[in-house]
Parts: sequence; structure tokens; C-alpha cells
Amino acid sequence: MKTVLKGRGAIKGIAEGEALVCPDSIQGWAGIDEITGVIIEKGHVEEGTSINGRVLVIPSSKGSNCWSGHFNSAMINGVKPAGWVVTQIDSRVGVAAVVVGSPMVVDFSEIDPCKVIKTGDWIKVNGDTGEVEISQK
Amino acid sequence: MVKLTDNEKNILRGGKGRLQQKALENIIRYAEVLGAEELCRVTKATLGLGAQPYLNHIQSDDYNKIFSRVYMCTDEVLDINHNKFSESCFCVTCTENCDSEDYEEVGLTKEYFDKNSRFLEIARAAGVSMASTCAPYLLGWLPLKGEHFVTTESSNAMFCNSLLGACGNPDGVEAAAWSAICGRTPKWGLHCAENRYATHEFKIECSAQSAMDWDVIGYTIGRILPAGGIPVITGDFGYPTIVEVKQLFASIATTSGAVMCHILGMTPEGQTMDMATGGRGVAGTFNVNEEDYKESLAMLCDDTPGPVDFVSLGCPHYTLEEIQDVANYLLGKNIMKGVRFHIWTAYPIKEMARVSGHLNVIENAGGRIMTSSCPIMVGESIMKGSRGVALDGAKQAHYIRSMTNAAVYYGDKYRCIDAALSGKWDI
Repeated sequence: MKTVLKGRGAIKGIAEGEALVCPDSIQGWAGIDEITGVIIEKGHVEEGTSINGRVLVIPSSKGSNCWSGHFNSAMINGVKPAGWVVTQIDSRVGVAAVVVGSPMVVDFSEIDPCKVIKTGDWIKVNGDTGEVEISQK
Repeated sequence: MVKLTDNEKNILRGGKGRLQQKALENIIRYAEVLGAEELCRVTKATLGLGAQPYLNHIQSDDYNKIFSRVYMCTDEVLDINHNKFSESCFCVTCTENCDSEDYEEVGLTKEYFDKNSRFLEIARAAGVSMASTCAPYLLGWLPLKGEHFVTTESSNAMFCNSLLGACGNPDGVEAAAWSAICGRTPKWGLHCAENRYATHEFKIECSAQSAMDWDVIGYTIGRILPAGGIPVITGDFGYPTIVEVKQLFASIATTSGAVMCHILGMTPEGQTMDMATGGRGVAGTFNVNEEDYKESLAMLCDDTPGPVDFVSLGCPHYTLEEIQDVANYLLGKNIMKGVRFHIWTAYPIKEMARVSGHLNVIENAGGRIMTSSCPIMVGESIMKGSRGVALDGAKQAHYIRSMTNAAVYYGDKYRCIDAALSGKWDI
């Protein structure tokens, strides 16, 4: 079964991948390992999982003014999300979007993707149309 | 589509050189991502420069190559050596990763110190002045009401938005550099008046009479504040002083993403509840009582007594007034042998402490005044196998836990000094 959510395309392009849903986002400082992309935030629901090649589904950013810098370092080490789905964009996410460059859809006014998408669902992020297609696992 | 002025169009065509052109290209892309329709002029910037640890991911010694990849996000090698940052934006350095003179005391190498100095020299030549502090407002870097700024330090963003009425978003090390170079940022978020209103009220019912009280209150507010929220603080308290408010802002920005906070009757945009909320009222009200205070304290300070061999004061960087308090308390006393006692501040304030006689008192007692950095910026090398660390900043105590296996104690400066004098933390 496929579901389509409509948001605003923030970074153009189309990406597909397995969803990694983080309803409490990922903290900046000590959030991800900058070499492996593995989530190291203590007590995080996806602690131990790598962001690499996944479609990251988050409500917004969390903590640290330099949130983007951690994703930047990971990207320099060859590790980045394939795409992003962000409930409500904020400035930290905006910088990370530009830095990483993966397709991104943001600003969902009616349905919160963090509540609808489950980790492991197959997601197609269309940054050109603002559509997010969910194929449940 | 982002609307550009003639000046901006000229920069985008390359009229001010490739570096500014690339910086503006990035800023326009950032504006498009946010959904901003125009840009605003940035006149103040603090920047994370020097040999920052994230630069180590680039296997090169060429600063042009490193700066281009990390800050400008391009494989094209831009020439930072011969290009000035925006002439209309006053740029200073944020906190560095080493004391400005003594690398050995913080456990770093001469090789690192020389590299940091070399990278900073390039920034200096590009027009960046050296402040190297998390509290540049103590040194005269002061964006005033309606002025647009960028900063890599969250507590500074909070101070400037809340107390000065200046406008700045938390947008990170890369975007701060783009803005400092091209003098522009997207007109979005806290740069627009309609997004600066309070969303949640925090009624203070606990003690609010000292720097530590306000530090713990801020830590508590940040823990409770919903994502994207802006607090307005109300209650029956005397307005916090500069020393107190600096702690409050740093700790709210530690446990939340907020960089704006109203204090009813005190901050310029929060003179009345109507002003603070834009007449819309708040979405929720929380009380901060003694129980909440104790809960935060328990998160910050280990609960078993033990030895202390490293004491660090000054997060955010100390004012001259705080250094004077320490000197008065330490006069005629001696730090326990084997305990390292550091006070962190900006180097001009250390000089003021020297000419005021406070530095002499502190050094005679066995302490040090350190500058331009702090333990969490230096990293674990500063702890050197410590068994117990005592700190008077909630932000410092919060983050240092992930960097050390030592016991972490948090308390006011006098309690921390007592630990330095006795070599132990008593509960």
C-alpha cells in the first residue's frame, strides 16, 4: 500500500531509501559519529543505527547552534542521508540541507510524517514536487 | 524566488570576487530552502575559526582547500588568503580550542598550537578581529535593537536576541561564514518581528537570587520548553544582573534549541505580557518550583562525595566582576597541591584582572586565569585522567559528562573554590 504526503520541496531531486524515523530528532553535539554516521545520542530510539543511505524523518533539529557541522563532517567522511523528510523546517536544518545537498521535503501542515512513517518503510522523496511516497514494509 | 537588491545582484555576478559570489550563492540556496523571500544585511558576526576539530576530517594542510570544503561546501579551491570578508560586517572569532598562550596546561601539542595560530593569521588577514570568546558582548561586540547578526555561539545568540533586541538565528558554523563574507542572511525566523513572540510562560516559584539559581532555572526551562518554543519568564523576582542573566541564557540554550527568551518587564520586547506574546497569549504555562530545581541539580551534579583534582570556573566566560569575587574569596588561601584551578575568560578581561591586582591574588593562591577557550572546547585532553571535576557552569557540566569518566560536580563558584582548597567535594 502506498501513501503520499504533501509538503514543500526544499532541496530538489528525487531520492529513495529506507526510512529512519527519529520523532525526537537527533542532537547536534554527540548526536552522530562523524566517521560512521551511527547515532550515538544516549537513550535515542535509534541509538546504534547509521544514517547513511537512509531517508531521515525528523520533526526539526535539536540542540547545538552548529547542528549542520556534524552532518557536514560525516559527509566529508562519505556518510550522509539519501534524503530528508522534516515536519517543520528550522534554521539549523536549513543549513544542513544546503551543506549535505540530499533531496529534502519540509513543512507538513496537516499530517506529521514522524507519526505516519515507520522506520523500515520504503520512502521516495521528491524535492521537485514536494511529494513523499511511503511504501509500508 | 529570492528577491535581490542591485548590490546583491552585483555580488552574485562576481562584482566583489569569487569568494563573496560563492558565499551569496550559498546564502540564496539557504534562503530558498527556508522559504525566505528576501535577504537582510548582517553587520555583526562571530565565527568558529582557527584549527577547529571538524577541520581534521580534511586530509590537507592547505587552509584554502580546508576552508573551501568545510565552510564553503565546495571542492573548488577558493582563495581565502587574498580576499576580505564583507567590509560592512564586523567579524570576530568565537571561542577557540586552546588557551591563547599555554597549550601544555590544557594538554595540547605545540604542533596543534602552531597550526591554530597559522589558521587564525589567515582569518586576521581576511579582516576578522580576534575576540575568541563566547561572550563577545563583554568586549564591545554588541548588535543593538533591530540589527542583524550571525554567531556560532548559542548563548551569545540568546543574549543578543533577548536582551539587546538584535536579530539572529541559530544557523551554524557554515552559514555564519557565508554571512560574514557576503554580509547577508535570509530574512526569516528571528530576523522577522512576527516570529519573536513568546509561546510559553514559565512562572518562577523557586529561589532566583544568585548566578547559580538562574543557571539552574535556565537549565530547567530548556528541559521543559516544547521544540520551537520561545519562553517568557514571569514571577516575583528581582531582575537578574549581567552575571545572572548570562548563566540563564547559556543554560536555556543548552537544554533547548531556543535562542530567544523574554523576561517580563525586563527585556525590551517583553515589557508587558501583551508585548511579549504579540497579544496572542501563550500556548502553555509551566511553573518552575523547588522540586524542578532539585531535579535539574541532580542531573548536573554527581550525588556521591569524592576527590576533586580539576576545578574550572567561567561558563560563559567570566566578567571582571566575577574574577574579583574569586580573588576576594581566595585572598590568603592556597589551592590544594595536585588540584588544577582554572578561571576562563576573554584575554582583554584577563589583562584587566592583571592591572586590577586580581590575577596576582589568584596566581599566588595556586590558580590560573585561562583565556579564549574552555574545557568543552579543548576536549578531553584538559582533564588528564582527573578523578573529580568541579564546575560552576551548567552548560559545562552538561556537556563534559560525555567527555570524561571522572565524577562531575556542579555548584556555585564558592563551593567549587572550597573543593579546590580541600581537594574534595562534600555532599
